[in-house]
Amino acid sequence: MLALQRGVTGFSMPFFFVMVAASVVDFVAIGWVFWLAPIGFVAGAGYGIAHYYRFGYAVTADTVDVSSGVFSRRSREIPYRRIQNVDVSQGLLQRVLGVAIVSIETAGGGDTEATLHFVSEEEAERIRSEIRRLTAATAESTAEPDADRPGSADESASPSESTRRDRPGDGATPTQLFELEAEELLLYALSSFRWGAAIFPLVLVLFLTGSDSGSGLVPAFVFDAARPFGGPATLEGVSIGPVLVLIAVSLVQWSVFTYVSSAIYTVANYYGFRLGRAGDDFVYERGLIQRYSGSIPADKVQSVTIAENPLQRLLGYAGLWVETAGYGPDSGDGSQATVPMARRDRVHRFAENLTGAEPSGFQSPPPLARRRYFVRYALLAAVVVVAAFGLAQVSALERWYLAAVVFVAVPPAAHLRYANLGYVVGADHLVIRTGFWKRRTTVIPYYRIQTVATRRSVFQRRLELASLTVDTASSRTFVWGTPTIYDIDLETAREIHGTSRERLQSALRDRARTDDIGLSVDFT
Amino acid sequence: MESLHPRIRLLWIARGALAAVVLAVALVVLDQWQLTVPTVAIGVVVALALVLVVAYAVRLYQVWRFELQDDALYLERGVVTFVETAVPFVRVQHVDTQFGPIERVLGLSSVVVYTAGSRNADVRIPGLTPDRARSLQETLRELAVESEAEDAV
Repeated sequence: MLALQRGVTGFSMPFFFVMVAASVVDFVAIGWVFWLAPIGFVAGAGYGIAHYYRFGYAVTADTVDVSSGVFSRRSREIPYRRIQNVDVSQGLLQRVLGVAIVSIETAGGGDTEATLHFVSEEEAERIRSEIRRLTAATAESTAEPDADRPGSADESASPSESTRRDRPGDGATPTQLFELEAEELLLYALSSFRWGAAIFPLVLVLFLTGSDSGSGLVPAFVFDAARPFGGPATLEGVSIGPVLVLIAVSLVQWSVFTYVSSAIYTVANYYGFRLGRAGDDFVYERGLIQRYSGSIPADKVQSVTIAENPLQRLLGYAGLWVETAGYGPDSGDGSQATVPMARRDRVHRFAENLTGAEPSGFQSPPPLARRRYFVRYALLAAVVVVAAFGLAQVSALERWYLAAVVFVAVPPAAHLRYANLGYVVGADHLVIRTGFWKRRTTVIPYYRIQTVATRRSVFQRRLELASLTVDTASSRTFVWGTPTIYDIDLETAREIHGTSRERLQSALRDRARTDDIGLSVDFT
Repeated sequence: MESLHPRIRLLWIARGALAAVVLAVALVVLDQWQLTVPTVAIGVVVALALVLVVAYAVRLYQVWRFELQDDALYLERGVVTFVETAVPFVRVQHVDTQFGPIERVLGLSSVVVYTAGSRNADVRIPGLTPDRARSLQETLRELAVESEAEDAV
């Protein structure tokens, strides 16, 4: 096993170095690669071996210790109680060689706190279950004696008062909660759009045109594809019409490629998704080529979100995500799918069982908010028209006033934004729904609130409206944004502000008594 | 509700003025290298920026308030977007006192309260006398320890 680790470490480092060296040197002189690559290989292999010998980890009674570093040494101790989630991932080569990468996440910090590169599969599994067992043990030793409740059979019957401190045989095989079926996976792949995938076609084009660089800045196939629709043969001295056609055709091509690569990416990532529970942890497994598996302690879950886009709503499907303060293995933020895609009623039931909150009976912001969105989108449309007018002044573009068509979209857009907003002030949870294109219904236990802020912009003050931002501990994410109830009456906002604070305090007191985490592990 | 030390206005004005100077330099550079910008225009723009900066600083000072309530640190601030934030003491991770070079010259200090949140993860109370900053830090620390709950994250 050790030899295997060393071999892989020794090998993968130089591969990386060779690749970097090759791509950098390529621009200077291709011949350099032949003598630089071996140097890179030797240096990389040397560094890899040194790194291997200088790397050590230990799973002790109350911490995970990792010491590493060839030139500058670093040793790190991570207390179990602070561990958010443990993820194991395996690439294709690593699967062939039977090794895996273990990442240990804690809250805070810019990235993964400890990464064990290349341990054997059994070792990875052992580390994970060991950490889970010891985390549970430390939690139990600090918890009150009555926290241990027996039996797991009757639990699902009472989801409302649910915390489950039972750990039948630590490290036991996980109970399966959810498995993503083939049709659900396919639906998920076809109905979700990852904008990140938009760079795949670009990279592909760059890669392909790198070899035959004769067509200049724009590759030849772009022209070929656009020509049947009236596109230009070259970029030189053409009028604006054909260029617009060229742009439109290229955009269509790009979107199609993006859609296809996004679907492929989703299938590759979520193939064989399975979620189970082991003790108080969720454990998941997924991936076609690269395998991911990991555990999420239920008492580290900060909020639960139901995500659905219009297409998925139309088909009656939705996804369920949980957010922790750590970082996900590939998403770069703390949100992880517990149920990537399932029938909507099922997801709602899961969310209900998981949090004990019912995501229904939504209250809407006052209709004044809709007027605000109407004005906002109308202004946006006006900007578009002005831009078109400006373009008409400096170029041959005629009939700029046709851009006024965008005004037609303003009322429905304003209405849709308004109609999708909603909130529930529950007994134990705050439920916030927002967004049309990516509608998210987030359930936040009061217990998880970090700060509460009432925000009023100049315009909101004029209308006596306010937005309430409820912050939970989570990694800084720009994609998901902080849960916010938008544009409610100032009075209401102040009221919810106060309620949230009060219920945070009472939830804290309750929790100190009963050790209730407010989340049920057995949610399916 | 406690308000900030009046001298904080000077700090904000100084900062704004610095930005205005940068703007002026950028305009001059533009004038030299790209297109001609009339000197009068530069003067007007910079003067306007300075007036705005002063007005902003004065207004911000007027609205900035904070208070130690029984369960949370409560702040009100903001000129364009008015924000009322509550930071429960249980959620305070640690408290810093800080002062930059301009603050030092003006004899001011800030208290920064960190939480584990994602958006308002650090809340800064500027414009305190060093003594007040230290005592506030002390109080917050005590309150945070007092209300310590079971592991938040």
